[in-house]
Order: sequence, then C-alpha cells, then structure tokens
Amino acid sequence: MSRVPGEPGPGEPAEAAAAPRLADRLGALDVIVCCGSGGVGKTTVSAALAAAIASTSDRRVMVLTIDPARRLASALGMAGLGADPIAVSPTRLREAGLPLRGQLVAATLDQKSVWDRMVERYSPSRQVARRILQNRFYQGISDAFAGSHEYAALEALYELHEEGEYDCLVVDTPPSRSALDFLEAPERVADFVGARLLSWLAHPSRLGFHAMNLAAAPLLHIADRLLGSEMLGELGDFVGDLQTLYGGVQQRARAVGRLLRSRRVGFVLVTTLEAPACAEAERFASTLRELSMPLRALVINRVLPNLLTDEAAIRAADILVDDHRGARALGRALGVPVDAASAAALGRAHRLLSELARREAGQLTRLGRLTDVPSVEVPLITAPVSDLEGLVRVAGML
Amino acid sequence: MAARRGIRVLAVEVDAKGDLAEALGHPPVGFRPVVVQRNLSVLALHPEDSFQEYLAIFFKVPRFTRLTPLKGVFDFIATGVPGPRDMLLIGKIAHEERRREGDGRPLWDLIVVDATSSGEVLPQLTAARSMRRLVRGGMLRSQVDFVDAMVTDHRKTALCITALPEEMPVVEALQLHDEVVGNTDIGLGPCFLNRSIAALSSPRQRQLVDLLATGGARSAATVLGEGVQGLVAGVRLADALGRLGQPFARRLAAGLSVPVLTIPLVAARPGLATTRVVAAALESAA
Repeated sequence: MSRVPGEPGPGEPAEAAAAPRLADRLGALDVIVCCGSGGVGKTTVSAALAAAIASTSDRRVMVLTIDPARRLASALGMAGLGADPIAVSPTRLREAGLPLRGQLVAATLDQKSVWDRMVERYSPSRQVARRILQNRFYQGISDAFAGSHEYAALEALYELHEEGEYDCLVVDTPPSRSALDFLEAPERVADFVGARLLSWLAHPSRLGFHAMNLAAAPLLHIADRLLGSEMLGELGDFVGDLQTLYGGVQQRARAVGRLLRSRRVGFVLVTTLEAPACAEAERFASTLRELSMPLRALVINRVLPNLLTDEAAIRAADILVDDHRGARALGRALGVPVDAASAAALGRAHRLLSELARREAGQLTRLGRLTDVPSVEVPLITAPVSDLEGLVRVAGML
Repeated sequence: MAARRGIRVLAVEVDAKGDLAEALGHPPVGFRPVVVQRNLSVLALHPEDSFQEYLAIFFKVPRFTRLTPLKGVFDFIATGVPGPRDMLLIGKIAHEERRREGDGRPLWDLIVVDATSSGEVLPQLTAARSMRRLVRGGMLRSQVDFVDAMVTDHRKTALCITALPEEMPVVEALQLHDEVVGNTDIGLGPCFLNRSIAALSSPRQRQLVDLLATGGARSAATVLGEGVQGLVAGVRLADALGRLGQPFARRLAAGLSVPVLTIPLVAARPGLATTRVVAAALESAA
C-alpha cells in the first residue's frame, strides 16, 4: 500500500506531501465508485473527492447519491437535493476556499422511478408496461426488493455514463448488507426478472416443462397450500408479464458488469480504523478482486493523531489515574491545589484515546497488507464536517 | 445483563457476519442456537436455512431436495424475492418465540435481535404486514398474521434504536423514530446512544488543563515526566470530541418519544470484556 498523505498531522513527515494527490490520480477516470461499510463517511468522502477533482481539473464532475438524500445535500452545504442535477455554486466553494476549474453537480436518486423506467424501457408494449406498473406485487417489490437500492444506483450510473453529459461520475453507494449485494445487484435483478422456475411453479403447463412435473408436483402442492390457488394464479400472471422484460434487463446487467470492470472505472474503498469497518473493507477488497473490479484507492477516514501513542504522555496519564499521590505532588509542583478526581479525569480522558489510537495503529498495519493501491489517511476532524467549509477541508486532503 | 439476572436469552444476529457471537466471547455460530454463556444462546440467521427449516416443519420436505432440479426454486424464494426473504428472517424469530419446553414454558424469556441497519430494518419488521396485503388465503395467511401480531404487540416486541453522537446517525435515528411512530404499529423501547465521550465536566478540570498547557508544563514534568504536552493535547482532543457530540445528543433526546440511555465509548476491542463494560453501563443507565 503506497501512502498518499492527507493533511499532515502533528509529527507527520513533511516530505510525503510531494506525492500525487488522490484527485490527480483518479481525476481522469469516467466513474469512481466509493464503497465501504455504513457510517465510515462515504458520503463526505464522495462529495469531497468530487469537489477535489473539479478543483484540480476542468472536468464536469457529478456526485451521485441514493440514500439518504439529505446526507449529500448537507455535506455540500445545500438546503436540499433532488433527482434533478443541481450545480454546486462555484462562488460558495471559492469563498469556502476551493476555487473550481471544472464544474461540480450533485444529484440524488429516486429509486422508484429508476425501476419504473426499467419497466417502461424493456416492456414489449405499453399495455404490458402499464399492467406491470399497476400491479400490486410490483408496487411492493420495487421498494422492498433485496438489492433494489443497489440496483437503482448502478442503473442510474450506467444511464448517466451512456448519456455522456459529465466527464466524471462519483457515486456514493448505499449502505449494503455486504459487498456482494452491491456489486452483483444487476445480475440479481436479472435473475429475479428471469426466474423461469417461479413462472413454471405458477403455470407449469404454460411453459411445457412436462419432464419436470413429476419432481414439481410436491412443490406445486406446497405453493397451493401456502398461497391459495387465487393468489398463485395472480402471481403467475404477474411473473409472466415480468418475464417479458428479461432479455433487456439481462443485456443491461451484462453491460453494467462490463462497465464496472473497465479501465475507465475505479473503486475507492472508504473505511475507518474500527475493527468491524476494517473487516468489511477486507471483505470488499477481496470481493472486488474475485469479480475483477478495479480497486484504485483506499481512504482511511477519521484517523486519530500519532501524538496519542506517545509513550511519555501515556506514562503521564497513568500517573494521574493510578498514583493517588500524583495529584498532591502535581499541586506542589504547580503551586496550586490539585484535587485527585480532576487529575484522574484528565488521565482517563487521555487513556481512552491513547488506547483507541494503539488499536488503530494495529488496524492500520493490517490494512497495509490488504492491497497495494494508494491510500489516504484523513485525520479525525474535531469540527462539524457537514457544511461546505468542512467538506472543503476534507477535499484539501484528497 | 439479562442473562446474568437468570433470564434465558436468545441473541439473534441478522446479517450473519459473526460479530454478535464474538462480542459474547464465542466463535461465529450458525443457524442453530448455541449456548455461549450461562442462560445465553446465539444464532445467526440465514434465509436459506430458515426456508429449509420451514419446509421441513410444515411440509416434511427433506434437505436432499437441494440436490434436485428444484434447487433454483429454493434459492430464488429464499434469497431473491423481497417479501419472502424478509419474512423468512422475521419468521424464524417468531418460530423461536413460539418454542416451548416440555412443561409448556417458553424456551426463551427474551429474544434480543441484532437487526440490520436503520435504513433496512423497517422493511424487515413490516414484511408480514406487507405480505398480508398480498396473501389473502392459504396457510401462509395465518402464519403471516401470527408474525404481524407478534411484531406489533407492544408487550412482546420493542424496537430499540441505536445511534452515535454524530450528525448523520442522529438524523437517521430521528427519521426511523418518526417513521415507526407515524407509519407503523411497532412499539419503541429506549434508544441507546453509543460510543459517547465525556467532555471535561468541571471548571477545575479545565483550569488544570490550561495550567499544564500554559506555564506549568516544566514544573509538572518533575512529577509527570516529559509527556505533559502530549497529555494536554490528548485531553483537549477528548474534550473537543465530547463537546462535538453534545448538541447531537441533545437533538436526539429532544426528538424522541422514548428515553435515551447513554453508553460510553469503550476503547478495548470488541469481545466479551467490552460487552461486560457495556452491560455494566446499561445497568447503571437504566
């Protein structure tokens, strides 16, 4: 793992600042997908990376999010954000300290409309599309389908890439149950739409799988007992309509898969140094390798400063917490009374963070073995990063 | 905490990553409940296993069916279709809730579910309600009714929202709270505000930090050694982080209709020792 330092913290090596910034390394890509587990700051990193690219190049950059809309709007200092792309004010960015050379546009996704467009695009006729869109099963699944968030993000990403209105798309991925849920969403949707076996379950005679009927009979019996014959028939009609979309959806799934594996795309893995986030990052990196999808960079967010692992400071904190004579001796040295409780509180406050920093150092070593792509450490910021100034500060580290 | 009081607890992990068992000092577990501590068992939910168990209980379908051409149907229903997938997860919990000892007593006094993220939990909890709208008859209807009744019975089920003292987790916790209160019949338990860092709480503590930072470092070094400046920097960082979280904690408490229990940040790595510290914090907060 080669290191691209963020803002040098106390004790950070100054010479490393000459290394290329992440925005320079990734800025020529068409698509950057920011992934990682929930709560690691993906949205902030996505928005900051998009802003950094738009400030260091003349590219038209769009940052795209799906869930929840308010997060990206808040990170960009905007009141709200909808499905229609909105340009982030260059004046406001300049005032916040980040002059733009290119353009920065942000949008969020309406996942329902992505599904509706998919139905309209691939239905063989308007009547079939209308039937599907009005079906009560469809209305339930387009919101609740396992992977529908992920599918909507990738479908919209593909549409935007094909339209070519933006030079660089930065995608803030939805929090997924696992890496595979996101990366395999197109295939899963294609499998869902093309589930011939379910159709056969509903209407075995229609598809002519006579050879399998013997094996299927117990299953049909189960389905009939479970659902009732009326619902089974209704479900069969719906699945029949849905399967007319299969060819188009399967083709699109393959195209999205090709895009995600192309040289014009890069994945940026965002993590913190907490154990569960690191474990998820390891799973994500491994899945990307298995699927031949290009991991380009690792962003390690909210890194505690090195000074917390300073042994002399740790010893000083230990004296305040553990040595009951320490407070009195300190009072004598300072020439003011020092109560033991206050001294111990200070020691405990330092000890908490130094223990965390020690653990983080271990996780950092472990992450270093994970991949040889460039990594950026974004230090923990003790001010809100949910406004434009905070975002610009993070962008400056990328 | 409950197990220590003699309550027989089943802890259920929904995303099956093994974190819950590890937090209780045990290697990752599977679909069958495993005793990990006295009065405490853990299982990890898998929709596919849940479906197999369901078929075995209600239809006597053997496991070897997975070797037949029908495997695709099983996989599809268990993992691909939205409603059934969530129903299989919540249905397994309902099944465990219904299990009885030989003398008729419930097998578990309490089932604690480590649920999925706040953005995904409601579709799971309301899966039965959604399916009621679709399934009008058949055996499934009565089972769906049972699960829905369990989830919406406030004496049996409570959703406890967990947040961090940061902006987005608090916003999401409030959104989930409002959605639960406004659009569902699900009851809410207390909210847990996890990983809280205490800011310096008294003027004396602040004065001491200022004194060490300004003129006292050299004098203090005779007692504390050469690490005074590093100590001050660490204490100030902890204080800043504590202060940063305070407005979000206040916003959370003001926006919720349930009490908020604060759990301090524990520096140790996840495991039984950390879990015991958190349990002790919960005990004193409650």
